[in-house]
Amino acid sequence: MFLLKTKLNRRKFLAYSGGTLAAGAMATKFSTIKAIASEHGKQSKEPGTKTVPSACAICVNKCSLFADVKDGVIHKLNPNHNFFKSRSMLCARGNVGAKVPYAPDRLKKPLIRTGKRGEGKWKEVSWDEAYDYIVENVIKLIDKYDNRSSIAFASTEGLQEEFFRHLTSVVGSTNSVRHPTLCLASNIQGYSSVYGTLPDADIANAKFVVMAGSNRAEAFITPDTIDLAKNRKEQTFVYLDPRATKSAALADKWFPIKPGTDMAVVLAMINVIISEGLYDKEFVDKYTHGFDQLREHVKKNTPEWAEKESEIPADEIRWMARKFAENAPASVWYPGRRSSFTANDVYYRRSCAILNAIVGAWDRKGGLIPKSGISLKSHEFIFPLYDRVKNRIDGGKVNFAADVLPEYIKSNKGMPKDEVAFLSEADGSWVLFRDAILKQKPYPVKGMFIYKQNPVESVPNRAKTLEMLKSMEFICTIDIQMSDTAWYSDVVLPESTYLERWDPAHSLSGVAPVVIFRQPVIEPLFDTKSMKDITVDLTEKFLQKDAFWVDAWEEDKAYMEDYVKTFKGVPMSHIIEHQLSDYPGAYKMLKEKGCFYKTDKIPYGKTLKEGARLKTKTGKIELASVRYPEAGLYALPVYQKPSQPPEGKYRFVVGRHAQFTQANTQNVPYLLEAYGHYENMLWIHPKSALKQGLNDGDYAIVKSSAGEQKVKVHVTEYTRPDTVFYLHGFGRLSKWLTNVYKVGASDAEILEDYAETISGNALLHETFVEIKKA
Amino acid sequence: MSTNTTTMDFFAKNDKISNIWLILTLLISLFGVYGVFNVLINGHDVYGVTRTVPWGILISTYVFFVVSSTGLCLISSMGHVFGIEKYEVIGKRAVILAILTLLCGFGVIAMELGHPFRMMIYNIISPNFESAIWWMGTLYGVYLVFIIIEFYFLMKHNHKGAFYAGLGGFIAGISAHSNLGAVFGLLEARPFWHGPYLPIYFILSALISGTALILIIFNISYGRPSNLPEKAKNALTGLSKLFGLFLGIIIFFDIWKIITSVYGAPPEKYESVMALLTGQLSFNFWFFEVMLGMLIPFFIILFTKGRNLTASLIAAISAVIGIFYMRYDLVIAGQLFPMREPAPGAHVQSALQNGMVTYSPSFSEISIVIGALGFCVFLYLLAEKYLNLSE
Amino acid sequence: MSENSRALKLAEDNQKLANKRKKAKEKWGIVLDTSKCIDCKACTVACKMENYVPVGFYNYRIWVAEDTHYAKYPVISRSFQPSQCQQCENPPCVHVCPTHASYKTADGVVMVDSKKCILCKYCMTACPYDARYESHATEAIDKCTFCYQRREEGKDPACVETCPPKVRVFGDLNDPNSEVSRLLAYNEYTVLKPEKGTKPKLKYIK
Repeated sequence: MFLLKTKLNRRKFLAYSGGTLAAGAMATKFSTIKAIASEHGKQSKEPGTKTVPSACAICVNKCSLFADVKDGVIHKLNPNHNFFKSRSMLCARGNVGAKVPYAPDRLKKPLIRTGKRGEGKWKEVSWDEAYDYIVENVIKLIDKYDNRSSIAFASTEGLQEEFFRHLTSVVGSTNSVRHPTLCLASNIQGYSSVYGTLPDADIANAKFVVMAGSNRAEAFITPDTIDLAKNRKEQTFVYLDPRATKSAALADKWFPIKPGTDMAVVLAMINVIISEGLYDKEFVDKYTHGFDQLREHVKKNTPEWAEKESEIPADEIRWMARKFAENAPASVWYPGRRSSFTANDVYYRRSCAILNAIVGAWDRKGGLIPKSGISLKSHEFIFPLYDRVKNRIDGGKVNFAADVLPEYIKSNKGMPKDEVAFLSEADGSWVLFRDAILKQKPYPVKGMFIYKQNPVESVPNRAKTLEMLKSMEFICTIDIQMSDTAWYSDVVLPESTYLERWDPAHSLSGVAPVVIFRQPVIEPLFDTKSMKDITVDLTEKFLQKDAFWVDAWEEDKAYMEDYVKTFKGVPMSHIIEHQLSDYPGAYKMLKEKGCFYKTDKIPYGKTLKEGARLKTKTGKIELASVRYPEAGLYALPVYQKPSQPPEGKYRFVVGRHAQFTQANTQNVPYLLEAYGHYENMLWIHPKSALKQGLNDGDYAIVKSSAGEQKVKVHVTEYTRPDTVFYLHGFGRLSKWLTNVYKVGASDAEILEDYAETISGNALLHETFVEIKKA
Repeated sequence: MSTNTTTMDFFAKNDKISNIWLILTLLISLFGVYGVFNVLINGHDVYGVTRTVPWGILISTYVFFVVSSTGLCLISSMGHVFGIEKYEVIGKRAVILAILTLLCGFGVIAMELGHPFRMMIYNIISPNFESAIWWMGTLYGVYLVFIIIEFYFLMKHNHKGAFYAGLGGFIAGISAHSNLGAVFGLLEARPFWHGPYLPIYFILSALISGTALILIIFNISYGRPSNLPEKAKNALTGLSKLFGLFLGIIIFFDIWKIITSVYGAPPEKYESVMALLTGQLSFNFWFFEVMLGMLIPFFIILFTKGRNLTASLIAAISAVIGIFYMRYDLVIAGQLFPMREPAPGAHVQSALQNGMVTYSPSFSEISIVIGALGFCVFLYLLAEKYLNLSE
Repeated sequence: MSENSRALKLAEDNQKLANKRKKAKEKWGIVLDTSKCIDCKACTVACKMENYVPVGFYNYRIWVAEDTHYAKYPVISRSFQPSQCQQCENPPCVHVCPTHASYKTADGVVMVDSKKCILCKYCMTACPYDARYESHATEAIDKCTFCYQRREEGKDPACVETCPPKVRVFGDLNDPNSEVSRLLAYNEYTVLKPEKGTKPKLKYIK
C-alpha cells in the first residue's frame, strides 16, 4: 500500500474519530516514557579505566561489544562473550571502530558549501546557522513546487535511521529511498513468495551446504561465516562462484559457474530429486502447495541441459542433488544476502527456496529456519497530514519501467514492463527513483536529504547519480565522514559516531533473536549530534515557521510540539527502558551484559506445528505461487538464459572483501593494510590478460557504456576467463577521503544501471566491459 | 720509558701532504653531514633497511672499517710484536690508521644503532655474555685501548711497552674480529652465514685489508713509490708477496664456499649464493668482488712477483675497493632469503617476484658511508702531515 | 597522551608485570587449527589496536599468510596460515641480544624491554620467523607479547579473543587440563621450522 493511500485513510480516521483525541493519546504515551525515572548521570571524565557495553555500527550486524576506555580515550573494543550471535567475535572492521572517533578525516563541524558543488569549498557554521539554512531551503522548495514530495530522502539502515524517517515525515515527503534495492530486495521477494519470509540458514547444524553468489568468508562476518569455518571437518561445502574467493578456499568443491546460470543448476537438482524420488513426500504433501505443477515444470531441466548452461558437469549436479536429499533436512542452499545480480534474480531465489522445501529442509535442524524477533515497545511516531503531498515517483505505473531491463529479458513475459510489481513502500527502487528524478516524471524532485548513505558510490552509474545531484536545488547530507555524496552537497551535518551517542534498543531478528543498544563510550569529541537530535532540532525550527504548516492540521502541529518536547527532555536511556518494559530485568541485563535475550537455543518447527500458517496466500509453502500469476508473473521459476559478453568484452562482477563491503571503510588505513594493498585491482585470467596484452601490475582502462576507470591489473588464475572483477569503494571523488581519493577504480562509475521489475533491485552483474592497456 | 720526551718525537711536518687534499677530503666528509642530520631529524626511516633486511650498507661499512683496523694491527704486529725487523718500519702508520679506521667504524655503527648511548650504559649494566655483539663490542673497546697505548709507546720508541700493548692489541683484535665473524656465524636462522667459516674468513680477509692499506699509505706518505726509503721498500716488497699469498688463500676459500653452497642446492644457502652469482648482487660480485677484489690484484702480484711497488700499489687500491664490496655482498646476501615465504598476506617487506627480498641503500646511508670514508682519509692525512710517523 | 606515549607506557607496564610475575608457573602457548581460518584479519587488526602498533604496512606483530597448494584454473587450493612470534622455548633473539633487552618471562613469553633496546637489530636477523619490527612508537624492537597486559586479568590475547571461528586457542601448556593441552594430546600437530631447534610454543594442528 502506498503512503499516500495510508495518509488518506488516516485522514478519514481522524476526521471521523476526532484528531485531537488521537494526538492527545500520543501525548500520554510520551509522558509514560517521561515517567520512568532513573539515574543517568553524565559520563565522567576522570582518569582511570572503565569497560562500557555498547554495539558496533560499522556493518549491519551490530555486534555487541565491550569498550575498554583508559583515561577517557578508547583503548580497545572487545567482543562481548554474552552475545552468542557474534560467536564472541569482533571482526577487523569492528576492531578499527576504536579509531573511528579519532579519525583525522571525520566531520567535526556543520558545513555550508561556499564554492561550486564538488569544488570542496566550505565554511564551518554553527548548528543554528545550518538549521536555518536548511529550513529556509526546505520551505522555499515546498512552496516553489507546491509539493512536499519534491524533497527526497535517502538513507540506509542503522539504529538512528528511524529518526531520519521521522524527519521525512515531518517534511512530509513520500519519496524515501533506501538501500535494499541495491542489495537484497530480490532475495526477500523470492524467498517470501515461497515461505512468506526470508529465512536464515542453520549452518551450525547443516551437513551439506551449497553456496552460490554469496562470499560468506569475505563479506560481512556473520554467524553463518563462523559456523561454516568451524565446521570444515564435519560438513560438506560446495561453492559456486566465477571467482576463487576465500570462501572457495574453505570449500570441499568449488565450481567456477558461468555467471547468471545458477538457476539452471537449481532446477536440475530439483529435477534429479523429483525424478529419482528423493524428495520428502510426507513433507511435500503436508506443507507445500503446487508440487505437481513443479514436477511437470522441471521435467525439461535435466542435469545435461544444466551443464550446457552453467558449465558444471552433469554428474556433479547429480551428485549435489543426491547429497542434498541424502543429508536433508540438514541441507541448505544458502539464501545469501546481496542478490542484485542478474535480471531473473527473483525467480532464481524462488527456485532456491523450492529446492530446500522439497527435501523438507525447512524449520528443522540444519535447514532453513524462519527468523524471529523480540518485540519491543515502540516510541510510535505519527506523521503529520499535509495537503501538498504527491505519490512517490517510482510507485504505481511507471511508463519507463521497461527501460531499466537488460535487452535480453525485455521479451520475457514474466517480467513487468510498466511498474515494479512488488515495490517496497519505504524503500523504493533506487535505479527507477533516480531515472524518475532525472526525467522529472511525474513531477520534479529538487531537494534531497541523505543520511548515512552514499549513493554516488553505491548506486550503479556514477555519472548519472552526479547528474541527479546536479539537478537538485538543495542537498543536505548527514554523515560522520565526508562521503562522496556529502562532497556534492550544500549542507553537511556531522553526526556523532556510534561510540559517542545513545541509540535505541533494537531486536536483531534471526534464528535466535537478541536485543542490543548503544550508549556513549566516550563523550562527543567534536561539535556533532546524533540523528535524533538533528531531527528534533529541525522539527523545532520548522515549528517556528508558520509558512511550513499552512497545509497541516492544527493537531499535527501540536503533536509535533509534543514530539520535540518529549525527545528533547527524555534521555535515550529512558526510551530504552520503555522499549524493554515488557520484559522484567531486561534493561538491567542489557546494561550489564550488553545484550538481552530470552534464549540462545534455536526454536525449531514453529511453522510446522498443527494450525501454523505461513505468511503466504495459501498459508503453505508455495512451490507454485498464487500471488504471482495474479500480478502477471510466472507461478513457477522459469529459467532465462542470460546474455553473454560479446567477443572482446568481459562480464564485470562486483564482490566483497573482509575489510570492505560498502563504501564506508575504505579510507581506514588499518583496513587498507589488512586488505594488503592501497588500491583495488582488476582480476583477470591469464588467458584474457594475454589477449588484451596486459601484464600483472600494468594499468588498464575498463570501459562500459556507463563510464570508464583506470585500474591496476592483477593477473590471476582465481577467475573465469570471461569474467573480471575489482573491489568496491575505491577511486573516490571526495578529497576528504584522503586515502582513497582518486586511488584505484570505482565500480559505481562503470556499472550500467539495470534493474529488474519484480522487486526493483539493481542488477550489478549485467555489465560487459572492454579492457585496454592504459 | 723515557721521561723527558720532546714534542719533536710526536710531531713532524710532512710536506708531501698537500692542503688541497686535506680540504678535498674534508669536503667529502662534510657530505656525510647531510645523512647524519637527516637521520637525527627524521629517524631511521631515511635508511633503506627494512624488516627483512635490517642490516644494510652502514653495517657492511662498519665491518669494512673494523676489518681494516684489525688487519692493520695484525700486520703491524709482525714487526714490533713478533720481532720481524723488516716490518718494524710499518708500525706507526699501520697503528694510527688502525685507530682511525676503528673510530670511523664506531662512528658509522653509531649512526646505524638506534640508541648508541643507551648501548654504552646497558652493555655495562646489563651484559649478555651469550651475545656475539656484546663480545664484539666489548673486545673492540679493549682493542681500541690497546692500540692507542701501542701507538703511544711506538711514538715514544718504547719497544717493550709497544710489545706488550701490541700483543694485547693482537689478541684483542683477533678475538674481537673473529667475534664479528661470529655475529654472523652464530645465526642458525641464516644458513648462508651460519657456521665456523665466517670467523676464520674474517681474520683472513683482515690480513688482506691490512696489507693492502699499508701498501697504499706508504705511497701517500712519500708521494710515489720511487720516493720510498730503502727500508720501507723492503718491507713493502715483502708485504706484496704476503698480499699475493693471502689473496690466493681467499680465492681458495671463496671457491669452496661457493661450491658447498651450490652443490645439491642446500636450502637458503643456495639462493643466497645464486643472488651473488647470477642474481641481484652479481655485478657487485663479479666486477668488484672477484675482479677488483681478488683476480686483478692476485695476478698483478703473481706476474710482478711483488717486486714492482707501483704495480703492488695498483693491486692494493683495486683490492681495497673490491673488499668494500665484499663486505657489502656478505652482509646483504645473507639476508636476501626471507624468513617467511612472501605469500599474499605475509607482508614480507621488499619481496621480489622470485621469492627473494631486496635492499638498496638510501641516499642518506650512502652519504654517511662516503662521509665516513672521506673523514677517515682526512684524519689519516692530517696525522700523516703533522705527526712523526717515520722512524 | 599521544598514541606513541601510550605504546611506550604499555611496554613499561608489561616490564613491571613481568617482574611481578617472576614466580609464575604457567607456560603459555597457542594451538591453531588453520582449517577454520578465513583470512578475515580480525586478529591482525585487533593486535594493532590492543598494542598501539603504529599504522604502517610493515609495522605488525602478527600476520595471516596465504598458503597456496595449487592454483591453475579451475583447480585452486589454498589455506590460510595465521602466525606471529613463535614464543620459542629456545629463542635465538634472546640469545643474541647484547643487553638482555630481549628476554623470556617466567611464564615463557619472549618480550622486549624497550628501555634496554639499543636497536642493533641483531634479534631481527636472528629470528627465523620475521616476527619483529622496529617500532617508532616505543623506539625499540617490538613483537608479540601474547598481550602480556592481559595476563593478570586472565584474558586471552586480543588475536585469540577476537577471532570469529576461534582458530587460535590460548592456554597453559603446563596444565594437563587446559584446552591447549587436550588439543595437543588428541591431535597431530606441527610447529614452524622445527629444524631450527627453536621449540616454538605455537602449535599447528594438522
